[in-house]
Amino acid sequence: MLLLGNEAIARGILETGIGVMTTYPGTPASEIADSIALVAKEAGMYMEYSTNEIVALETAAGAAICKVRALTAMKHVGLNVAADALMTLAYTGVNAGLVIVTADDPECYSSQNEQDNRYYALLSNLPLLEPSDAQEAKDMIHEAISISEKLELPCLVRTTTRVAHTRTPVTLDKIQKPVIKGEFIKNPKRFVMIPANARTQHLALLEKMEKAKIISEESSLNKVTHTSTKIGIIASGGAYNYTIEAVNLLNLDAGILKLGMTHPLPKQKIINFLEAHSKVIVIEELEPYLETQIKAIAQASALNAKIFGKTDTPYFPYHGELSTRLITEGLARILDKKPPINFTEIDKKYEQASEILLPRPPLLCPGCPHRASFHVIKTATANKAICPTDIGCYALGVQPPLQVGDVLICMGASIGVAGGVSKVTGLSTVAIVGDSTFFHAAVPGLINAVYNNHKVTLIVLDNLTTAMTGHQPHPGIGKTGMGVQTVRVSIEDVAKGCGVKYVKVIDPFNVKEATFVVKEALKQEGPSVIVFRSLCTLLALSEKRRKGIKVVPCRVTEKCTNCMACIKLLGCPGLEAKEGKVSINKNLCTGCMLCAAVCPYQAIEGEVSR
Amino acid sequence: MTEYNVVLTGVGGQGVLLFAEVLGVAAVKEGFNVRVSEIHGMAQRGGAVVSDVRIGEKMLAPTVLEGTADAIVGLEPMEALRNIKCANDKTLVLLNIATVKPSATSQNTSYPELRTIIEKIRLFTENIATIDSTRIAESLGNVAVQNMVMLGAFVKVGNFPVKSETIKDSICESVPERFVELNLKAFEAGYREISRR
Repeated sequence: MLLLGNEAIARGILETGIGVMTTYPGTPASEIADSIALVAKEAGMYMEYSTNEIVALETAAGAAICKVRALTAMKHVGLNVAADALMTLAYTGVNAGLVIVTADDPECYSSQNEQDNRYYALLSNLPLLEPSDAQEAKDMIHEAISISEKLELPCLVRTTTRVAHTRTPVTLDKIQKPVIKGEFIKNPKRFVMIPANARTQHLALLEKMEKAKIISEESSLNKVTHTSTKIGIIASGGAYNYTIEAVNLLNLDAGILKLGMTHPLPKQKIINFLEAHSKVIVIEELEPYLETQIKAIAQASALNAKIFGKTDTPYFPYHGELSTRLITEGLARILDKKPPINFTEIDKKYEQASEILLPRPPLLCPGCPHRASFHVIKTATANKAICPTDIGCYALGVQPPLQVGDVLICMGASIGVAGGVSKVTGLSTVAIVGDSTFFHAAVPGLINAVYNNHKVTLIVLDNLTTAMTGHQPHPGIGKTGMGVQTVRVSIEDVAKGCGVKYVKVIDPFNVKEATFVVKEALKQEGPSVIVFRSLCTLLALSEKRRKGIKVVPCRVTEKCTNCMACIKLLGCPGLEAKEGKVSINKNLCTGCMLCAAVCPYQAIEGEVSR
Repeated sequence: MTEYNVVLTGVGGQGVLLFAEVLGVAAVKEGFNVRVSEIHGMAQRGGAVVSDVRIGEKMLAPTVLEGTADAIVGLEPMEALRNIKCANDKTLVLLNIATVKPSATSQNTSYPELRTIIEKIRLFTENIATIDSTRIAESLGNVAVQNMVMLGAFVKVGNFPVKSETIKDSICESVPERFVELNLKAFEAGYREISRR
C-alpha cells in the first residue's frame, strides 16, 4: 500500500496498540495526528490536539507513566517547546512505551529554522531512531515502543520532510487493540524530581544508557547493507537513500553501514567498520552529528581510517537538504572521480534558462481575512507601527505589497518582543498573533505585558482554525480532535482574565470600524487586545459548497480608472492587471469585497457573501 | 528493468499533489516500487508546487536527479521551466499553455511570452508537447479538473509504464465519489486532445 511517511507512522501507532496520541500540529509532522484523528474513535484509542507541544508531551507522558502506550508527534521546533519536560522525563522514565516523533525540516520548507534535533537525544540521554522511508517509519514505531519498554524511557524517532512527505509502498502488519485504561502506582522517589530524587534518577538514566548501548550494538537497525573492503560509507535516515543512488551512479565499490538507531551509537560496529576500511565517508543531513562522534570513536580506539564528511573539508553542506547530486559531487571530490552527468553544463544552461523566471512565493489566499487585517493595521498606524509577528499563514503578511511584520522568531514571540521594542523605543507597537498560536504560547507574554505595563497592542488574527497546518481544531473552536463538542475557550475572555482593560472583537472586513478600533487601541496607556475574527476563507468556501451557496465574484465597473490602488494595496491573487486594466479572475475571486472597500472610485461591485 | 522519473510542477491549488498520488497509487497496483515526494509549503494556495514521482526497483531517493527526468509536466509553463534542470535532451516536457501570473506583487516584472518560455526549455530538450488543459477543464464545467486533463495527456504521450486502465482505477480511488465521473471525463479529454496534435 502506498503511504505517506506520516501515514505510515499513523499505521504504526495502530499496529502497536498505542492508546494515547497527542500533538500540536506542525509541518512536516501534521498528517500523523490528522490521520489518527480520522480513526481514533473506531480504533478505540484517545487522541488530542494539545494546546502546545510541551502539554502534548506531558499528557502522553502521564498516560505512559500509567502503563498506557503513548506517542506524541511534533515538528522539530516543537521539541524546543517540549524540551523542559523532555529533559526531566528522561530521569523519571515511563512505565509503558512512549514515543516522541520529531519531524525535522532541512531546507526550511515550512519552518523558521532547520535545527538538527538529533542533538536532543545526546542532550537528554534518550534513545533515537532515524527512519529513511515510509516502511521504516512504520516499522520503527514498533522498534521504538519495544526499546522504550525495555529501557522504561521515552524513545525519540526523528523524521525529516522527505521521509514524512514521501509516499512509498508499505507492507502492513496487523492492527493491535489499544489498551487505554491505565493505573497510577505511586512512586515519588522515581516520579517526583526534587533534587535528592533527581540525583538518584540521573544515575538510573546513565545505567539505562549502558543497556541502550547494548541494544544499539545488537539492533538490526544498525547494519552493513553493502560490503566492500575499499571505501566505507556511513549514512543515516534520508541521507542513506541518496547515498545508495549516488554510489550506483558513480559505480563505486563501497561498503555501507546504515545507522537506524543513532543514539546511542553502536560503538563496536563502528569500530569494526572503521577497521575494515582505510577511507570512511560519513553522509548525513544538516549537522555533523554522526561524524563528530565517529571521529571521537576512531581517535579513542587509535584507528587509522581516514574519515571524510563535513567537519574538516566540507565535502557535504551543513545546511539545507541533501540530494543525490550533492552526495555524488561530494563523493566524486573525495575519491577523485568524474560524475557521469555533467552538472556544470546543466547549471550553465539553467542560468540562461532561468533568466526569465519570476519568483512565485506562497501568498495569502484570495479572500483571506488576514489580508483585510493587514490592510487595516497599515491604514490605522499610517504604516508607522513596529509589528512583531508570529508563526502562521499570516507570516506571509511580510510579502509585498502588504509588508506587515517586522520580527518573526518563534511561536508566541510577537507579544514578548513587542514589549521590549515598545519599552526602549516608545513607538507604537502592534504584536500580531494567530488564534491557535495565541493559545499555544502568547498567553504568558500577554500576562507579562499586563503585569509590567507594556504599551503594546496585541492583535489576534482569529480565523477560527489552525489554518497553515491543515485546519486542525484548537481550544477556541469548541470541538476536539476526536470530534467531541467541548467548551469554547474565548480569546477575548482570556485577555480580560489576564487583566487587559481594552479588549475588542471585530471583523477585519469591516474596514472602517476595524481601523477605528486599532487607532483607539493604540491610544491606550497599557496593553490592549483586538480580536480580528473572520473564518478562514478556505473553510468558508467549503462550507458554502456544502450548503450549495454560490460564490459571486466581484465585478469591475466602468467607474474604474485603472489607478491600480486595489492591486497595489492588497496584492490579492484574484486581482489581475491585464494590459494596464484591472480585471478580476473569476476562478480565484471569493467575493470578499475587500477590494471594493479600498477602491477610491467605488468601481468594484459584488454581493457580500461572506 | 522498467524505470521512470517524472517531475510534476504547478501552482498551489492546481492539483499537482493529486496528480502525483494517482500516478503513485496506479504504479503500486502494477507492482512497481514507487517514490512520490511532496512538498507541503507554507500557506494553502498560490506558491510553486513540485512533486517527483519515481518508479523502478532501484529507486530509493525521493527526488529526481538533475538531468535524469523522463518527463517534466507543467500544469503551469513557468513552473516547468523552474524545474528544467531535471531534463536531458530526451526528456518530454508536457505543458499546459494556460499561464498563471505570479500575483500582482511583482508588477515591475512582466510575465514572459509563452514562446519565450518554450525557447528556454529548448535549451534542454526539443521534445515538447502542449495542451490547453485549463480551457478544456473549463469547458467540462470545472477548472479544478485541469490536473486530470493533464494526466490524460501525460498518459497518452509520456510512455509512462503503467496501463491507462490502471490509472483510471486509481483516479476512482483517489477522488471523492461524486467527482469520479467528472475526473474521468477530464482524463479522457486530455488523452484525446493531446493526440490530435
